[in-house]
Amino acid sequence: MKEITQVVPQSMPLAPAKVPAQEGGKGFMAFLEQAVGEVNRTQIESDRAIEQLQSGQAKNLHEVMIAMEEADISLRLMVQMRNKLVESYQEIMRMQV
Amino acid sequence: MDIFDSMKISSSALAAQRSRLNVVSSNLANIETTRTPEGGPYQKRDVVFRSAPLGFSGVLDRAVQGVEVAEIRANTDPPKLVHDPSHPDADAQGYVALPNISLLEEMVDMMSASRSYDANVTVIKSAKRMALKALEIGK
Repeated sequence: MKEITQVVPQSMPLAPAKVPAQEGGKGFMAFLEQAVGEVNRTQIESDRAIEQLQSGQAKNLHEVMIAMEEADISLRLMVQMRNKLVESYQEIMRMQV
Repeated sequence: MDIFDSMKISSSALAAQRSRLNVVSSNLANIETTRTPEGGPYQKRDVVFRSAPLGFSGVLDRAVQGVEVAEIRANTDPPKLVHDPSHPDADAQGYVALPNISLLEEMVDMMSASRSYDANVTVIKSAKRMALKALEIGK
C-alpha cells in the first residue's frame, strides 16, 4: 500500500508533459488527460478504501483488495502507455533529416 | 464490459458467500439456544440468493449478473424434542425443544461457502492475470 502511494507522485509529472503539445494535438491530449485522470481516480479510490478499512468502518475486505488491484492494473496500463509514448518520441528524435 | 466487471461480479459473490458464512456461524452459535425474543427455541436460518444486474448499460452487459442475498429466512421445521427433565426449559413430560439445526448440515454448508469463496477469489486472480497478460502485448 505504501509503495502504491509513493508511485502516485511519479505519475503526476506526466500530466504537465501534455501541455507543450497544445497545437493540433487536442484529441490526443484530451485522451491522455482522461487516462491519467482515470488512473488517479482509481488510486484515490483505493486509498479511501484502505482508510475506511483501517478506521474500522464496515467495509468488505475483498472490496478493498479489489480496489487496490484495480489501481495497480490501471497504473501499469498508464506506465505502458508512457513507455510507448517515450519510445515513439525517441524514434522520431533519431530520425535523420 | 471491461476486465474489472468480472471482478465486480466475483466481488458480489464473495459478499454473498460471506453472509452465508455469517448465517452458518449464527446457526452453530445457537445450536442449543432454547430461548429467543420471539419465544421458543432458536430457528435455523437459511440464506436465499438471487441474481442481480450490476448496473451495466449494454445488452451484453445485462446478460451477465452478479448475486445478492435476497433474504435470510427462518426455517419452519419443528424443533428437535430431547428428553432431559433436568433442563430448566423442559416441559411437563421432561422434553426440551432444541433448535432444528443439524451440526453436520451446518459443517457441510460452511465448507461449501468456503469453497465457493475460494472459487470466486480464483476468478478474480484469473481476471487480473488476463489484464496483466494483455499489458505484456506492448513489450
